[in-house]
Amino acid sequence: MKYERALIAVAIVVFILVLSYAVTLGAMGSTLPPRDLRLLAKLYLWLAINPWTRNLTVMSPEAVTSIVWDFRGLDTFFETAVLYLAIIGTVAIYRGVYASSKSREVPISEDEVGMSPIAKSVTKITLPIVIAVAVAIALHGHLTPGGGFQGGSTAAVILLLVLVVFSLQYSIRMGITKGSTLALRSAGLLGIAVTSILVLILGLLVGCQSFIFQNQPKAYAPVGVPAFLDGMLVSGTLILFNIFECLAVAAGLTLTFILVLTHEEEIRSVMKGDRHE
Amino acid sequence: MKRVLASVAIAILTFIIYIIFSGSVSPYDLLTACAAAVLVGALTGTFVVAEPAKALNPLRACHAVKYFFRYMLIDEVRAHTDVIKRIVSPRMPINPGIVKVPYYVNTDYAMTLIANSITNTPGTVVVDVDKEKKCLFVHWIDVKTVKPEEAREFISRVFEEHSKKIFD
Repeated sequence: MKYERALIAVAIVVFILVLSYAVTLGAMGSTLPPRDLRLLAKLYLWLAINPWTRNLTVMSPEAVTSIVWDFRGLDTFFETAVLYLAIIGTVAIYRGVYASSKSREVPISEDEVGMSPIAKSVTKITLPIVIAVAVAIALHGHLTPGGGFQGGSTAAVILLLVLVVFSLQYSIRMGITKGSTLALRSAGLLGIAVTSILVLILGLLVGCQSFIFQNQPKAYAPVGVPAFLDGMLVSGTLILFNIFECLAVAAGLTLTFILVLTHEEEIRSVMKGDRHE
Repeated sequence: MKRVLASVAIAILTFIIYIIFSGSVSPYDLLTACAAAVLVGALTGTFVVAEPAKALNPLRACHAVKYFFRYMLIDEVRAHTDVIKRIVSPRMPINPGIVKVPYYVNTDYAMTLIANSITNTPGTVVVDVDKEKKCLFVHWIDVKTVKPEEAREFISRVFEEHSKKIFD
């Protein structure tokens, strides 16, 4: 037994050493990217915020967000779609299960369910603090590293903590239900979808050319979302994408947590057909 | 009224945290901080704050700041030195055990502050709490006494005095 452990430890060390040696020798290919790739990177940095080339810039000092929600916005849209397909899959598997809908009628006090009062107090104080940080991450997505997805995940973490510490039953009484999170998530997704065709609609209304996922006015499509709002930099569609993505991610992840935390007997009784709503 | 005041207390907290996290006070930050404060305050106010008069009392906030520095600079240092001595001593003078420590504060927040103060100092860890009998069960690296009142004198009396001023 002892020798076995030592053998495993030695094997891991040897593996890491060999791998890092191989990488240093160039086993993963050349360390330098090809020249034309570097040109692309240069262009991204050049155009992320550039008031002198208004036809090509995103007007956001945060290059990553410019790439994610503008230069390759369509890519991000499908990435988001993949995550939501996974969540939709979860909802579909658990269809008909309305987490502890019976217990909603029975009034329960905070002390009867969940973890210790110490865990509850700490979670209570942390809740507004973490949500404040989450909102700040999302709303500064076009200015500093972060954005809607990161902000939404941060908010989802504290909501998961509430679900676990206060128990699912109590959380449902407080309004964190399958229905409310599903509605919020759908509102967020709808917001993303509308924002992606916002400039297209504007162009149709004005009667000029425009594209999906367009942000700033382009040479042949002179419509766009304003980059400044009363002197404050909002980077056009980027702030809208970040707000809606934050909402959709926070609600979507919380929705899966609720479903995963549902009692197995309840799910089975629904799936067997004993109970349906 | 109570609900509104509770929301206001949380809105102020949210505003401060938002500004600290953003690290700037441009018009954009102030505006979005206000929006976030109103939103979070309205959503979580009544859940987090039961007695807004206490939460909005600046005297209690001052006590909290005072206690933070006292705790970090005096209690933490004292506990660390004690445990370091035990670690480096070749005889390893430890006498571990779990003791019952009563507390006499009424709110959950005050009790939580005591419990976290105990756990955060090395050498003592709260392992369980009994809200009905109002006592904490503390794992102690060097059990000097098993009598609850005497143990309280050693472990949590100072924490409790401050906690009472802040939360109770």
